[in-house]
Amino acid sequence: MTIAVERLDELVTALRTVLRDEQILTSKPDRYNRARVPAPFPVHRWSERLPDLAVLPTSTDEVAGVVRIAHDLRVPIVPRDGGTGLTDGAVPLRGGIVVDVKRMNQVKELDLENRTVTVGTGISMLKLNEVLGKHGLFYPDDPASYPCSLVGGRIGTSGWSLIGSRYGHTRDLVLSFDHVLPTGEVMHVGDGIGHKISKSSSGYQLKHLFMGHQGTLGIATEATLKLFPKPEAELSPFWAFDNYDDAYRCVGALARAGVATFAGAVLFDEWKVAYLRRDDEAYIPQPGDVRALVCAVMYGYEDEVRPAGKRLFRIAREHGARYLGDEISEGDWAARHDRYATPLHGRTKSGQVVPMSWHCEDAAINYTDLPSVSKAWHEIVADLRRRTDVFDDWGMFTYTSGNTGVDYLTEIDVGIWEQQLDDRAWEMWVRAKRDIAAVALAHQGSISACHGSCREGEVDLVPDELGRGYDVMLDLKRTLDPHNIMNPGKYLLDRAYDTGAP
Amino acid sequence: MTQLDRQGPADPVSVPFTPGMRDNPDELAEMPEEIARAVEEPADPTPTEELTAEWRNASYNCFSSGHKFCREVCPVMQVTRNESWTPTAFHANVVAMDKGELTIEDVAADYVNCTQCGACELRCPNTLFTGDFYRFRTRTVDVVKAVRALAVESGVHQPAWQSWNARTDELTHEPVLGETPIDQEHVRDWSEGLDLPIGGETVLFVDCEAAFYRTSVPRAVAQILQQAGYEFGLMGEQWCCGGPAAEMGYVDQAMRFARHNLDNWRSTGTRRVLVLDPHDYISFTEDYPKYFGEEFDLEVVLVVEVFAELIREGRLTPSVPIERAITYHDPCRLNKRKGIWQEPREILRAIPGLDFSDVDRVTQWSYCSGGGGGLPVEKPELTAAISASRLEKAAALEVDTLVSACPWSERPLTEAGEAVDIDVVDIHELLAESLGITVGGSRNGGAGA
Ligand SMILES: Cc1cc2nc3c(=O)[nH]c(=O)nc-3n(C[C@H](O)[C@H](O)[C@H](O)COP(=O)(O)OP(=O)(O)OC[C@H]3O[C@@H](n4cnc5c(N)ncnc54)[C@H](O)[C@@H]3O)c2cc1C
Ligand code: SF4
Repeated sequence: MTIAVERLDELVTALRTVLRDEQILTSKPDRYNRARVPAPFPVHRWSERLPDLAVLPTSTDEVAGVVRIAHDLRVPIVPRDGGTGLTDGAVPLRGGIVVDVKRMNQVKELDLENRTVTVGTGISMLKLNEVLGKHGLFYPDDPASYPCSLVGGRIGTSGWSLIGSRYGHTRDLVLSFDHVLPTGEVMHVGDGIGHKISKSSSGYQLKHLFMGHQGTLGIATEATLKLFPKPEAELSPFWAFDNYDDAYRCVGALARAGVATFAGAVLFDEWKVAYLRRDDEAYIPQPGDVRALVCAVMYGYEDEVRPAGKRLFRIAREHGARYLGDEISEGDWAARHDRYATPLHGRTKSGQVVPMSWHCEDAAINYTDLPSVSKAWHEIVADLRRRTDVFDDWGMFTYTSGNTGVDYLTEIDVGIWEQQLDDRAWEMWVRAKRDIAAVALAHQGSISACHGSCREGEVDLVPDELGRGYDVMLDLKRTLDPHNIMNPGKYLLDRAYDTGAP
Repeated sequence: MTQLDRQGPADPVSVPFTPGMRDNPDELAEMPEEIARAVEEPADPTPTEELTAEWRNASYNCFSSGHKFCREVCPVMQVTRNESWTPTAFHANVVAMDKGELTIEDVAADYVNCTQCGACELRCPNTLFTGDFYRFRTRTVDVVKAVRALAVESGVHQPAWQSWNARTDELTHEPVLGETPIDQEHVRDWSEGLDLPIGGETVLFVDCEAAFYRTSVPRAVAQILQQAGYEFGLMGEQWCCGGPAAEMGYVDQAMRFARHNLDNWRSTGTRRVLVLDPHDYISFTEDYPKYFGEEFDLEVVLVVEVFAELIREGRLTPSVPIERAITYHDPCRLNKRKGIWQEPREILRAIPGLDFSDVDRVTQWSYCSGGGGGLPVEKPELTAAISASRLEKAAALEVDTLVSACPWSERPLTEAGEAVDIDVVDIHELLAESLGITVGGSRNGGAGA
């Protein structure tokens, strides 16, 4: 859905009052390249998801100026940062303006005494840590998309950090931020009015509200982040098991051990191991009796990580683990950011290699429910596979969320042969996603622990998950964004308005 | 205790399996297929269809990853932060062309924004992580070259590239971006007084930038070879290698130039070509074999590798101390494209007096001078910004000198070096100095001191 030519001219003329020409992109390739994210996408319907134009602001004022214009002219706005979100948050559903904040990537203030850094939200964690490393510090938001996702997108999705059991996730690590509301007003979000306060009890706690909203409540432009000493030691043992049950019990015991340097534990199931066997360099030199894997990760000083490691090794041994050795353990953990999105792993059932996109469905599930959820999820994907090679089961892993192991990020990875997607295949897939989300809810889980849940399929069940809470979302949306200009169509929030579309 | 029933029913897709294994049940391959179909190729394909058919799967390999792990190493992205000018966009546009969504007219100008440094190819998990096993390398540079060629073939020109290639055609040498007089008569001027023969089994090929602009580089190279007693001559009638034309999409011109050079080598009995410029090295080791197949049977030797070997063998012994605080710039076409990064370091470590702050080659994947891929011709301001960012990294090491091994990088790097008071020196010049050679020649096309 795009806007009429005359309106587009009016819009561009208005934007020129706040931006230079070079910051306003209207060409077809500029628009096509800002219409997609890595999650599989019905390529045959690409043209339905284009913005009318994209802008590249460099300051909070410019962002506010653009939003004000969009608000006055009732034009949709879609914030885009790294464009790596997996739930289509940054994909425009109603045309309008993509506000691409990648140029806001400066380190503005490094406060070594209070251990904070203030950055433009277009910076990547990788680049930020290159700067911080010189001061012996680091910012431990470590998604698997660490080399490509950016701070603003982390706020927009309130995502998951692979070492979150030790350092917390994005929501714990971002202290505060400047935020442009859907009306174009600028506010500061955080505990209290200061930029560097980690805990206050003044007023409502708004920080969570303005994180993880997938760009439906405005745009974060500048953020102040919590810093930690760069860890001296990292220990990441990988253990093999000849059956899932032992591995499952082991991961629970590791997480419950209460070791202070513990940063996370992961369980890879039988399907994941079979998937990884598809190439030589992963875990594969492992004999065929390896059916499940567990990894634990510790970060800290040398003299605290080592004894803690001994304890975890003991626990693992008691659960029938076989240690895979330093080389595999260190190598596999080091490859944690690159192990995803390897289209060459796509296979038809008969074994032909075809380029496939990586898709993951994630949920937050209590420890005790993991086995039955994973069984039900694999069955949903098996059903797709029985019908077509467009889908491939790339296995599951589950990852401790908090340091007590109460719940787990539970993810099933599905390969999708995107070249072959058509309306029928897409419909099958959307239905499968809905079923996957329904399984999570039936186990009192949450539809997403990580990426959000605003995409076709799972989004249908968000009102069921939140109940009365969902109506509060609608109330807030209507109040803060009276004309539904911020990322319209996401999270079914059109229901907050009589007319639906803006 | 949680119930752990993991036994599924007997259906072969409900249990984990590795597709393609011989012991899988036959039923797997026999399951009915509701959707997947073979791609239909048009009977009489247009040039665009030919291109997308060739690059379709490769581009989907990127499109379907789409994460842009390569982004922060891309030199153009680093300075523009414009997602339309990233390796993924270059692949995604091919997918869009395949789907009939975009045309070559829509996309051609975007493909200017690439220095063909190859960093994205190395950083791509498809190369890094599964590449060895599947013998796969993401080939963004080739995709960019192919699309630029399609643009030229379709009559879609970039103005500066078009006139630059026309002038190169006329002069048989690149106009080296300036007013320096360029013609066949002057192509050997740099060697004045060195008394070098023409032709012979081994010839030294000197790229246009070095022959006409930074003449100190070929002089240093020739004199070092002479000092080591290494026999070589100059090329009979040397034309531009054709590499830049190929990079900008002017393929016919590139092939004509290549043909001329090959014929000329034949006429002087040449068997071995010595190369000092990394760009020529790419042309002779990648483009020429593609153009000529087996007919191209010459040995191509990179001078930096020869020098490292001569030092190792004790045939060259740098002994004049050079008191400089240096760092080394890995030229993209050596480090990223060809994996040559050890030899230059060997040479630098052999030179006494240098205080060498090295930056490892992997970190340097994200460094570039901005001087390659035709970028300085069409977008000099981007080249300047990329060079400035490279010099900023050197300045953080508190060095007074940046050493490069690529004449094409040295002009933009030198200009950026002035702002931060860092001298940009060619590795061959530095080695010559330490060997007690007075090099002579010019480092700026003879435009003043
Ligand atoms: C290979 C790979 C691995 C991944 N692994 C993880 C993982 O381990 N953990 C995890 O959490 N995620 C992971 N993801 C998903 C993705 O990286 C995260 O969702 C990330 O937070 C998105 O950041 P981005 O900068 O790319 O944002 P985008 O995709 O640009 O945007 C994401 C959402 O935030 C909104 N948004 C963007 N910028 C702003 C802003 N400045 N203010 C407000 N809203 C904004 C957008 O509108 C959109 O709804 C992975 C993705 C990939 C491709
Ligand atoms: S080139 Fe490689 S790293 Fe870059 S986006 Fe494509 S797949 Fe990812």
